[in-house]
Amino acid sequence: MSVLISVHSRTQWLRNMTLFQRITLSVRALLILLLSLPVLAGLVGVVLPAFGYFPALDAHNFTFDVFGRLFAIDGMGKMMLLSFFTGLIATLLSVASAFLLLAVFYHSSYLNKIQTWLSPLLVLPHAAAAIALLFVLSPSGFFSSIVTNVSNILSSIGVSDAISVDGASTLLPPTWAFPYDSYGISIIIALALKELPFVFLMAVSVMSQPQIKRKFDGYFKSATALGYSPVTVFFKAIFPIVYPQVRLPLLAVLAYATANVEIPLLSGPNNPPTLAVAVVQWFNHVDLSMRFQASSAALLQVAVTLVAISVWIVGEKVAKHAQARFYSNGHRHTGQTLSAIVAYAIVAIYTLLILSIIISTLLWSFATFWQFPAFLPEGLTLLHWQTTLAALAEPFNNTVLLAVLVSGFSVIVATLALEAESLNGNSGNIGGNRHKSKPSSYFNGWAGALLSVTLFLPLLVPGVAFLYGLVWFQLAYFNEAVWFHLFISHLVYVLPYVFISLAVAYRKFDPRYIQVAYGMGKTPWQVFVKIKLPLLFAPMLVAFALGLAISFSQYLPTLLSTGGRIATVTTEAVAAASGSSARLTAVYVIVQTLMPLLGFILAWWLPTICFNPMGRYTLLQTRKSKL
Amino acid sequence: MTKSNLLLAALGRLFCLAPLRTSFELGVDSHVNLRVISKEIVSAISAFIFATTVAYASEPAETSIHAQNNAEAPTNSPLKGQPQNQSPALNQAQASNQKLGDSPTVQFHAWGGSAQVNGYIQWVGQQVSDQYNITLNHVKLADTSDAVSRVLAEKAAGNNNQGSVNLIWINGENFAAMKRHDLLLKDWANSIPNFALTNPSRNPAMTTDFGIATDGQEAPWGKASMVFYYNNQFVENPPLNIHELLAFAKQYPGRFTYPLPNDYLGISFLKYAAIALNQDHQDLLYKPVTDTALAKITPALYEYLDVLHPLMYKQGDYMLRQASQLQRLMGTGELLLAFSFTAAEIPSAVNRFDLPKSIRTYAMEDGSLANVHFIGITYNTENIAAAKQVVNFLLSPQAQAKKQQLAVWGDDSVLDFSMLTAHDKALFKPISHHDSALNKEKTLPLFAEPHSSWTDAIRQAWFDRYGERF
Repeated sequence: MSVLISVHSRTQWLRNMTLFQRITLSVRALLILLLSLPVLAGLVGVVLPAFGYFPALDAHNFTFDVFGRLFAIDGMGKMMLLSFFTGLIATLLSVASAFLLLAVFYHSSYLNKIQTWLSPLLVLPHAAAAIALLFVLSPSGFFSSIVTNVSNILSSIGVSDAISVDGASTLLPPTWAFPYDSYGISIIIALALKELPFVFLMAVSVMSQPQIKRKFDGYFKSATALGYSPVTVFFKAIFPIVYPQVRLPLLAVLAYATANVEIPLLSGPNNPPTLAVAVVQWFNHVDLSMRFQASSAALLQVAVTLVAISVWIVGEKVAKHAQARFYSNGHRHTGQTLSAIVAYAIVAIYTLLILSIIISTLLWSFATFWQFPAFLPEGLTLLHWQTTLAALAEPFNNTVLLAVLVSGFSVIVATLALEAESLNGNSGNIGGNRHKSKPSSYFNGWAGALLSVTLFLPLLVPGVAFLYGLVWFQLAYFNEAVWFHLFISHLVYVLPYVFISLAVAYRKFDPRYIQVAYGMGKTPWQVFVKIKLPLLFAPMLVAFALGLAISFSQYLPTLLSTGGRIATVTTEAVAAASGSSARLTAVYVIVQTLMPLLGFILAWWLPTICFNPMGRYTLLQTRKSKL
Repeated sequence: MTKSNLLLAALGRLFCLAPLRTSFELGVDSHVNLRVISKEIVSAISAFIFATTVAYASEPAETSIHAQNNAEAPTNSPLKGQPQNQSPALNQAQASNQKLGDSPTVQFHAWGGSAQVNGYIQWVGQQVSDQYNITLNHVKLADTSDAVSRVLAEKAAGNNNQGSVNLIWINGENFAAMKRHDLLLKDWANSIPNFALTNPSRNPAMTTDFGIATDGQEAPWGKASMVFYYNNQFVENPPLNIHELLAFAKQYPGRFTYPLPNDYLGISFLKYAAIALNQDHQDLLYKPVTDTALAKITPALYEYLDVLHPLMYKQGDYMLRQASQLQRLMGTGELLLAFSFTAAEIPSAVNRFDLPKSIRTYAMEDGSLANVHFIGITYNTENIAAAKQVVNFLLSPQAQAKKQQLAVWGDDSVLDFSMLTAHDKALFKPISHHDSALNKEKTLPLFAEPHSSWTDAIRQAWFDRYGERF
């Protein structure tokens, strides 16, 4: 009976909606489909061959033989361990560092500075980070030349013996283990370098939400009044609230770290490589029967990622249990000095690493010949830029066109889907605030949960696991529509980020504007166009720029869905990284980094002139005052 | 010459229509003939347009060639007389061409993906038109197997003497396919006068195409051979054979490596080592691989690599995925010795600052793995004499020297320098000497590519022994 009533009330509720509201609801359903269908179809396309079913190769029987053969491969265990530990340690390092930085610099003027400096690094594509790190870590890199110069000076004043092979070798780079070391330390450094800004900024964005910030300020004041030191306040009062809010993104980071391809491919070992790299190699093997092995290895990769996530969750539980007493032990200054020292050390190391990366990449891109221990090249030239820019015209156009299409589409879909969320006056529902949803609101119940799971699905399921299956479906059904495949496989990665970024803005939106407008008898469509769009223009542009950045940085999805037929700047850069010229590679890295940065600069600048009658004036004023 | 000659040739093509027109008047089935005629007219007009365009387009190129010829004036003058000391048969063909007053057209089917190669073939076209009154038409292929299948289709259709493909640029798989289907003219290469200059008795690579005997069905045109390069700022005496290479690795541990055998250059290094380390039973490598043959070849290879690997870059634990990374590590000084299949890329990398000026290129003295590419004549070629004449020109010191210039193509000559006269050798002197370029005047033995079945066998053997590395 109650079911009948609820169905009845629901149909009534649907009937009362305007066309616009119905559209937003269907867009929301579309969003769930767009994200889940490719991933699930892709998984099916990998699961079937993994169990020996692949009609195209005349295999029709389900067996476990494929896995048997997979485990018979030498070094399989090492591959799995390598994937598991590099991902786990890198994530642990970046999460610990990010929260330590927050603890020490929260409520200090440094927080804003760190935020400003870390933000640009967020847009640095993983491939670019790994390539740039090679310039610094390699035996002929920046650190190595410091070591060599110092040891040369020491030996020249007689403090130590020069490390020399056959006399002349103080000019030769040392033979040290980085990069490509067999323990994957290079991978861990590159991953941590890239993930630290993400975790940090994610946490900052949660903490800067108005309600939460007000609450934290209150905690902070009362705890300080009770004599707690700032670091202790953070760990005892603030961290337990912030952490659950960033937990899903953190798990996505972990999943990515255990399963990504670019970084281990560029800086990892190859005897054996990480599991994800092996999967890619097997899928790309000319011998098509390797697909079975590749598919089963891809499933194994999913298992490795799942184990890593489970270990993380168990770790969380253990830590929570262990900390129970820590919260209430009444100590006021737990690890105050130590935390500060470590945090400053992290800032120092990070700054050194980033500065040396930026300087060496810039120098390499203009360098003529560069004799090893010298800090500067012999001369500067524009040759490498000319060569690269000439070759980059077409990939650049492809990249920009695709990114604009994907990101624009994502912003539209995400906005409309969020509009559907706010139908019941409840704005935004992802992450931890599910408890707020009222029982009367149909969508915030299981559909809300479904939505948040769907959003994180492409981020949690390793790309190597579903992309190949997806490609298989794409080839089987619409072989010629390359751009469409490319669009879908980018969308799967862009849409979640755009949605999350926009959802934050929607959640911050002051509902009083809308209430006033409705009070004046405006329709939902009018409210959306006249009030929300102009006010949300800036966050929408930021989401658009974020979408551009994500799309720019996709390597594997681009390569797989086009079969190399459409080149983008990132695919060209990864190809160039293994090419013969370090100088050209440096140019690629810079172009790759500048492109998303330009997107963000536009996102910052456009709102000052559009939908903002005062903006142009203010901009002019500030410019004049600067002059 | 040229502009007027090419225009004449095009006009000649137009006049070919005349007999066809009469057949049209007499013909019963006028419908079919109409189609033939219209096709013929279109092709004639397009040939005319093509010839005119080529005639005009080639003018600037010509002036630059003249400028070059002037620069090489002393060496060039004796060349003019070269056609005279050629075999009577060819001279006869030439004479008969001139007597008939029409220029035979040779259809040259060659991969057309490189502007440099296309430019060179265009130059060849002008030369053979000048010297022998032959019109060479370069049919630019995207994939050589297209031409192979066209000849096969012609054979199936019974077109046995008016083939549309005359000369074809091939090697490896395509040659094997054409030989298997009897699509090539047999036993002609040895009768080409300039073929002797390749010294085939000393260079088996000139008569073996990936382990398959050419049997005179194709003539070598150019080659790529494995060259080594080293940094002479740190290394004075580079290793000159496979055993010295091991000594070098001991002297400079960590300064040499080779790419994984998945890479073309990686497997090439293994082939070189397999040949050089198995001097006693090299012949096994030129036959299809068998288990017993593999068991004879691999022990020496394994023994060598087992010692070499720990002495390599990263103790052989990390091996490069792509050959191009070799050059990069040479540029930073992390490696002191590396190798390549394209000698021309090394000086150009020095010019781009990717390699230091102290890089020197050389070839191993025990033999360099060489990969020769060939020209074949199809069995259904109409004017065989003209086709042979073109091949003879392609093998002339003049044409081979031109092809070897870095600015033109940079493809290695197949001629044996010991067979050349002093002034022919002088032709090969690079216009601008580059310290890092290979000294091509020195002749060293070449190893032909092993039979193609060995590639997979050696690669698999390597992975079985040294583990699955990617």
